Amino acid sequence: MSSDAVALSAEGSRARSRVLLATLRRAGLYVVLIVGGLAMMIPFFWMLLTSLKTRAEVFGSPPLSLPSGAHFDNYSRMWNALPDVTFGDFFLNSLKIASLSTIGQLIACSLGAFAFSFLAFRGRGVLFGTLLATLIIPYQVVIVPNFILYRNLPHPASESGNWIGTQEPLWVGAFLGGAFGVFLIRQFFLTIPAELADAARVDGANPWQIFRFVYLPLSGPVLATVAIFTFMWSWNDLLTPLIYLRDLEQYTTTAGLAFFQGQFVGKWPEMMAGALVSLLPMIALFVIAQKYFVRGITLSGLKG
Amino acid sequence: MTLLAQRILGRRDAPRRGGPLASESRWAWAFLAPTIVGLVILSAGPIGATFAISLTNWDLLRPPQFVGLDNYLHLLEDARFQAALRNTVFYTVVSVPLGMLLSLGLALALNRSIRGIAWIRTMYFLPLVSSAIAVSLVWSWIYSPSDGLLNQTLAVFGVPAQRWISDPFWAMLAIVVMSVWQGLAASTIVFLAGLQAIPQSLYEAAAVDGAGRWALFRRITLPLLTPSIFFTGILSLIGSFQIFDQVFVLSNPGKPTGATITLVYYMYENGFRFFKMGLATAGSWVLFMIVAALTWIYFRSQRRWVYYQ
Repeated sequence: MSSDAVALSAEGSRARSRVLLATLRRAGLYVVLIVGGLAMMIPFFWMLLTSLKTRAEVFGSPPLSLPSGAHFDNYSRMWNALPDVTFGDFFLNSLKIASLSTIGQLIACSLGAFAFSFLAFRGRGVLFGTLLATLIIPYQVVIVPNFILYRNLPHPASESGNWIGTQEPLWVGAFLGGAFGVFLIRQFFLTIPAELADAARVDGANPWQIFRFVYLPLSGPVLATVAIFTFMWSWNDLLTPLIYLRDLEQYTTTAGLAFFQGQFVGKWPEMMAGALVSLLPMIALFVIAQKYFVRGITLSGLKG
Repeated sequence: MTLLAQRILGRRDAPRRGGPLASESRWAWAFLAPTIVGLVILSAGPIGATFAISLTNWDLLRPPQFVGLDNYLHLLEDARFQAALRNTVFYTVVSVPLGMLLSLGLALALNRSIRGIAWIRTMYFLPLVSSAIAVSLVWSWIYSPSDGLLNQTLAVFGVPAQRWISDPFWAMLAIVVMSVWQGLAASTIVFLAGLQAIPQSLYEAAAVDGAGRWALFRRITLPLLTPSIFFTGILSLIGSFQIFDQVFVLSNPGKPTGATITLVYYMYENGFRFFKMGLATAGSWVLFMIVAALTWIYFRSQRRWVYYQ
């Protein structure tokens, strides 16, 4: 073998070992990421496992052992645990409140965002600044004045005569906008080329028509982001239902779970079944619309 | 990268479009009507109301009595309020830096374009969309002193069982671990966006100059990531002062002891259990002042360490 050939093959084996090293490193990364991901999922596995076990298995067997069979009766016991209401009612209540909140936010925030991005008026900067400043106010700070406000609003269909003990305080406020939605939609509106609106203006369109027929049709992605976040916050909220709801028939899934916790002390299989069922809509929504979640968090950094 | 903080600080106002029409501001007020009503009656307006109520004794049944600063003096003496304040501060001081460090590490690990990365990310992001109450229920079972996952696992290694959520030493730490686990993805997603905005050419140029991995991280990644760090820092800080759901479920459900009570829980308990609206709003006002002061200090500090491209 000539010295050239030796040098060549040495270089070849060096290149091969570099490829091998890169492959190994990549495999190692996969292993670390997947093991870490599975570790993150342990509480969910534990929830699922427990929800399928009998009570004897829960207390008698090693922690991550499999159940003796899929004991779905935990789910039906949880579902029908209360005499007059089922967990399905809680579910429907949550669905109704979260949907109405979402519709309210979409309407109010897109209207406000349009004014802040498209229309010129005196005091725009100050008003927008004030709105953004409310982002740093923990909502619990204003919860007492809000409670007093709703307590003084007459309500024909409630026992108390006011809004306390009804579901209305949980979603009506959404129709009055919010800093997060206005901000996010405004940022998107600012990226819409001015020429589109100018062309509509030349054709004699008024601001409402420009909003309705030029801006809204282009804003699907940002509206989806705002919708998903509003739905999630509403679905996951615990404090507001605890404060305003009085009757079990009105309870949301979160308030229902809190109530179950008091009822089912030590009955872990039933409680885990309830917790798991309450999570399913959000998990499904997340898997379907992951990209809108990620976009919303990237833009706002807000947690769930 | 269009981050909130940068937008606010960059003061990039919307370009004025179209001519200044006389009718335009009338349209604007019409579009803004819901937002303005919301600001006045639901968010900004009630801040003042909160303070006004905090100067009274009010049980909602009888008319409020003006008592000056009595409620605040009571807070100073109330051991339960002091516990709430201490626990909330402890929670913030431990969970915010810990969460941000772990998120940063996770973002660095997840920042690759390898096959299946979307599925891997989903595993890490799932806790974020779960409700705090469902999550807290599982963790209260994990932490359960008798047959919980944690004690059973530790028993394998011969570690004696601990009363994680009733032991004053462990209780708040247990809540921190759970919350960091749940909130990890939020900061991670912001960091990932920040990492992806760093021009690849910078790394290539530095590598040509012989920079090692650590130097690349220390001199390029970290400085260019400071806006994201600043941004997630402020949101984690504000969020951590609002902790409630986790406390409601863990550790003596519905009636937390001094070991885990937080500011928001103190407010909730006085306002909506004991109907002491004056005391509840005094607590809220203290919470608001702390958050406002920290936000202000934090914003002031950014000139020293935040690097905008």
